[in-house]
Amino acid sequence: MPEWNPEILRRLAPLKLSPAREGEIAEEIAQHLEDRYHELLVTGQSEDAAFRTAIDELKGEDLLARSLRSIESDLYREPVALGKGGSNLFAGILQDVHYAFRMMRKSPGFTAVAVLTLALGIGANTAIFTIVDAVLLRPLPFKDPSTLVMLNESLKSLGYPEVPASPPDIAVIERTQRSFTSLGAFQNKDFDFSGSGEPERVTAASVSASIFPMLGVQPLLGRTYTEQEDKPGTRVAVLSYGLWQHRYAGRANIVGQIIDLDRIPYTVIGVMPKNFQFPLPGPKHNNEPAELWVPRAFTPVELQGWGDGYNDGVLARLKPGVTFNQAQADAALVTAEIKRVYPPAMVKIFNGATPAIGLAPLHQAVAGPVEALLLVLMAAVGLVLLIACANVATLLLSRAASRSKEIAIRTALGASRMVLIRQMLTESFVLALAGGALGILIAFWGTSGLLSLVPSSLALPHSASLGGWVLAFVATVSCLTAVVFGIAPAFQVSSVHLQGSLQESGRSGTPSRARHRLQGIFVAAEFALAMILLIGAGLLIRSFSKLLETNPGFRPDHVLTMSVALPFDAYTKAPEVRQFYEQAIERIASLPGVKSVAASNDLPLDSADNEVLQVEGRPDSAPIMTVTWALGDYFSTMGIPLIKGRFFTPEDRIGSQPVAVINEETAKLLWPGENALGKRLGHPFPNMMRTIVGIVGDVNDGPLGSKPGPHFYLPYLQLPDDYIEYGNLIIPLNLALRTSTDPGSLTSAVVAQIHSLDPQLAVAKIRTMEQGMASSIAAPKFNTFVLGLFAFLALFLATIGIYGVLAYGVAQQTHEIGIRMALGAQRRDVMQLILVQGARLALVGVAIGLLAAFGLTRLMSSLLYGISASDPLTFAAVAIVLVAVALLACYIPAHRAMRVDPMVALRYE
Amino acid sequence: MESTSLQTEWKRGSAELLILSLVEARPRHGYEISKLIEQRSGGAVRFHVASLYPMLYRLERRGWLCGRWVEKSGQRRRRYYRLTHQGRRVLASHLRGWHEFVVGINRITEAENA
Repeated sequence: MPEWNPEILRRLAPLKLSPAREGEIAEEIAQHLEDRYHELLVTGQSEDAAFRTAIDELKGEDLLARSLRSIESDLYREPVALGKGGSNLFAGILQDVHYAFRMMRKSPGFTAVAVLTLALGIGANTAIFTIVDAVLLRPLPFKDPSTLVMLNESLKSLGYPEVPASPPDIAVIERTQRSFTSLGAFQNKDFDFSGSGEPERVTAASVSASIFPMLGVQPLLGRTYTEQEDKPGTRVAVLSYGLWQHRYAGRANIVGQIIDLDRIPYTVIGVMPKNFQFPLPGPKHNNEPAELWVPRAFTPVELQGWGDGYNDGVLARLKPGVTFNQAQADAALVTAEIKRVYPPAMVKIFNGATPAIGLAPLHQAVAGPVEALLLVLMAAVGLVLLIACANVATLLLSRAASRSKEIAIRTALGASRMVLIRQMLTESFVLALAGGALGILIAFWGTSGLLSLVPSSLALPHSASLGGWVLAFVATVSCLTAVVFGIAPAFQVSSVHLQGSLQESGRSGTPSRARHRLQGIFVAAEFALAMILLIGAGLLIRSFSKLLETNPGFRPDHVLTMSVALPFDAYTKAPEVRQFYEQAIERIASLPGVKSVAASNDLPLDSADNEVLQVEGRPDSAPIMTVTWALGDYFSTMGIPLIKGRFFTPEDRIGSQPVAVINEETAKLLWPGENALGKRLGHPFPNMMRTIVGIVGDVNDGPLGSKPGPHFYLPYLQLPDDYIEYGNLIIPLNLALRTSTDPGSLTSAVVAQIHSLDPQLAVAKIRTMEQGMASSIAAPKFNTFVLGLFAFLALFLATIGIYGVLAYGVAQQTHEIGIRMALGAQRRDVMQLILVQGARLALVGVAIGLLAAFGLTRLMSSLLYGISASDPLTFAAVAIVLVAVALLACYIPAHRAMRVDPMVALRYE
Repeated sequence: MESTSLQTEWKRGSAELLILSLVEARPRHGYEISKLIEQRSGGAVRFHVASLYPMLYRLERRGWLCGRWVEKSGQRRRRYYRLTHQGRRVLASHLRGWHEFVVGINRITEAENA
């Protein structure tokens, strides 16, 4: 028998058909030639002649291919199964994509819901990732940022795990270290900036000359200062781009101009570029980006101030080849050297301790404080995305029911399971990529919306761009998403039983049990995931409300505060300073609506002045306490209650008996079970003991929710002259007034009173104490809001999920329900049947979610206040809420099922 | 020469009509279709393999024919083509057009020869 196939296949080869199609054509034509051949043999032709005549039907070498080309070009290129290889793999995928788009167009409702769900999930992830990228992943905008480190000191035995460095210690570090190519100190400070326009308080930084070259950022105009200029008495300043624009409208001749800082003339020598930011926000101290920079210029007094002035940030660059660990080992040697040279008197006051040097990569120092928050948010949006995936997967499974016949037909026509799975996954990919594209839009708005809400106390940027990494992230997440939500439905759908599906006639048959089961698993999983998120958000909400309930120890209502710094060159002597503040208090108190006025170095919620004190008769004890110098009616203005003894009076001034007021915590700490009144406590340098005349309630020194520590109040008027004039720096005082009317309405009157004393003074940080309270809780409020938002999104998606599955189930079971009702089932029974189905899913999910949340919420314990990460009340409340919402979502389909008319339901059959 | 080219034109225009009408009564396979065309035209019209099958595939693609592999015991499987619903309508309209054409031609030629 002749072989036809080689002849035919040779002629088909140029068409590059799929192997399946090529085989089919060859088989059909071979059959034809075979028939012709047999017919010719019957007519008496020889085998040879018959073969040639039959082959002649193919008419030359290329006619067949030419005739077929236009017909076969795009029709029967069957997809090639993955891994099988084939020249038309690409064409196959294109065809799959084409088909996927057709399916999407065919059911626009399904497509819209699926794409929107995915877009929400992917968009939320992208928005958070954009922030993570900007804060954690992107290198800092400095030269070689990975070799920059921050140094700090610690006095662990005295309760200070991390403090900024002190000038004498910095000198020891500079002398002893062998790990750094350069090292520099910096410190935030405020200046009254005047000369052109209104006097204004600006945030500045005194910065070592070495810092600019270390950061590797060139000035936009002029130059930065040299080591020689970094000496006391050199008055040069470098402006930020922002200040240059805002005060001088970007005038090009700014270099060489004289500006007044605290009424001392400085020469502007340079302007830094627009995006230069230093110090960076993030670290605990010295974290305010400066508007201008002046030399750090350590004074001889500062350099001898052992045990004092722990205020400087220290930045250093590692030598090439020196690792972070080597530098850490080197820091231990520096610590030993500090111990060796520390003045014995100080060592004694520190209870035998000396400061230890620690270091952290700059990036970690900057990003560390928000890392936990960002990771929790990243986890939260991850869960939202998983819920979105589960939702789309259940949708795909529901739709699979209506597609089972299509799948069966394709299987009957020879599509392999692999081909079907690939087709299904392609559809998933197209959906996910559409979701991803929409998600980018959502992320674009979401990111800027979120970042505009970021409070200043949180070291997050106020804008972040969608960079290349973010786009790569979206692409990756979209693809992963497609696999996650597409794989189960693809496998489930492709395992359709041919006969069953084909036999299911036009009416909707009972849905495949396996499919329904899989949907149930997805819905339960959604509830478990939503449970975790809701518990996380619930914990934050509970902890936030606890925060709001805390008693700050003072009455923040009807209080206006502001800061006034007297420039040293205008107020060189202590009596002038005292006189200014006394007069200011007097004038402000005379304003109508003002009940009491006070001045102090620190205010509640923002007290940072910690000093080492000494208790009379206990030379070994050196408590570190928050110190407040108060002038005027401080306690009644702040609303701090008197527990025992008395407040300060105007008679408590230089010359009278030195007195102090302490808080309850101090009394408990130093004189437990004793009467603290009459006891003596004071500064070791100069050695001045003060008699305690009053005990007041505890006040939050730090942000709301922080534990009140020991607090030492002393009358400002009893400060010795050299203390006020110390270090050529007058500590700025805050003025505070309690009013009987809206405190904000008195602002301009108060400022006018201050300017009547000194028209050149800048009055800064004007705000009501309630605004201060609000900004103190802004960070936890932001955390709560954002996590709450994602939890709500999760709840929303999970609710839609359970509703969709049950509604679909009811639609599918109309016939069954009809039969039940025809057989006597009550409407209530039917409703109960559906509700129980839904409740079972929700309960399984909630139970799993409870267990998972129990393990996961401890990751966020650093964000909580006043409750444990496994707070039973939150867990129980969230579980109840979730089940209630689930039942509500089930109620609608259940109600619909109840209303099924058995006659109608059966007639459908 | 002239007659050959006329024959080609005729074949091209009528081939679809021929095939559709041959599968109208019942499904047939390709060889059967080609044999029937040859027989019924008394050998005047013949389709060779290289043009018959492309034509069948084209008609199938247009949705006028539907091909299906059928196995009969003791034989190799063959592909049978049946007329689809759409194909039936197309055939009806083609036949109508053809009749009008033939009637028109006849009128002209009879008038000339009369």
